[in-house]
Amino acid sequence: MNRQIRAFSEIDRVIHEPGRLMIVALLFAVDRSDFLYLQHETEMNKGTLSSHLSRLEEAGYVEVLKTYRRKVPQTLLHLTETGRKVFEQYRRKLKEAL
Amino acid sequence: MDQIGSLLRRPSSYNNIDGTGELGGGFMSFGFVVLLWLQWHTPKDAIWHQMYLLFIWVVLMVAMIHYGTKAIKNHITYPRTGFVAYRTRNVIWLAIIAFVISALASAGLALAARSHRDIAIPVFLIGLLFAASYAFGIARAVRWKWAVVLALVLGSLVIAVLPGGLTAALSGGASVPAWFSARLAGAFLLCLTLCGALLLISGAISFWLYLRHTQAPVKEANEPADSGIL
Repeated sequence: MNRQIRAFSEIDRVIHEPGRLMIVALLFAVDRSDFLYLQHETEMNKGTLSSHLSRLEEAGYVEVLKTYRRKVPQTLLHLTETGRKVFEQYRRKLKEAL
Repeated sequence: MDQIGSLLRRPSSYNNIDGTGELGGGFMSFGFVVLLWLQWHTPKDAIWHQMYLLFIWVVLMVAMIHYGTKAIKNHITYPRTGFVAYRTRNVIWLAIIAFVISALASAGLALAARSHRDIAIPVFLIGLLFAASYAFGIARAVRWKWAVVLALVLGSLVIAVLPGGLTAALSGGASVPAWFSARLAGAFLLCLTLCGALLLISGAISFWLYLRHTQAPVKEANEPADSGIL
C-alpha cells in the first residue's frame, strides 16, 4: 500500500472529527481550561461540546475534574499524556498523508 | 495544518484578550520612567539613588501588576469567557525571550553610550525592538493593534531625530551616570514614555472592547451544574 494512503488509514478517528480536533488542539496548548473557555473558543453549544468531551474522556484523551471556584461549580479539562501523544501522532500522520 | 497551528496559538493570545497584558506592560514602563526621572533630577545623595529603593520599587510594581491582573481575571475575565491555566514550560520560554530582548536593548544602549556618536540609529533600533516584541507578542493576534506597532516605529523615528539639546535637557544631566550621554538618556526616557503610553492606551481600548462585547453567561434555572460533563 502507498505510504500516503497508509498514513491516512492510521489517522485517529476520535481526534479527526473537526469539533473534537478543535477541543484537543486548544487543550494541547494549555495545562487546563474550564468548560466556558472551550465553549467561547469553539462557539459550540453546551450539548455538542459536552458530548464531544464525553467521547474524548471515554477514549482516555481528556480528564474531567469537577471543582468549585468562588462557590460556583467549575468543570476543568485537561489533556492526558495519552491525549498529547495521540495528538502529536495525528499531526505527524496528517503531514505524511498530505 | 495551518488551521491547527492557528488553534494552537489561540490560548496564548487569550491571555491578553482583556488588555491586562498591555496595561501591565504600560504600568511597568511608566514606573521605570518615574524612577529614572527621579534619579536623574535629584542630587546623588537623595533616597532615589539607594540600591534598596530600586529593589522595593520593582517589587512593588511587580506585586501591583500581579495582583491587579489576578483581580481583573478572577472577577471579570474568567466568569465571562472562561479560565485557562498555562503550561509552566511556555511561561519559562516567555521569560527567556523577555530576558534576551532586554539584554539586546541594554547591549545596544551600552554600545551607543560608548561610541558617543549620533544617537539617531541606536534610539530608532530600541524603538524597533519594542515594536517587534509588541508585534510578535500581541499585534499578530489582533489586526487593529498593527496601528500601535506603526505608532511605536514612527514615534521612535521622531525621537531619534529630535534636536540633541531637547533630549539632553530631559535627562536633567546632573545625576546621569558618566558613561551614559545626556542625549541618549533623554531619548531613552522618551522612548520608554512613548512605549508605556501606547501600551496603556491600547490596553485600555482592549479592556473597553472586551467589556462591550462579552457578558457573563446567565445560568439557566433548569440546568443542574453537575449534569454530564457540564
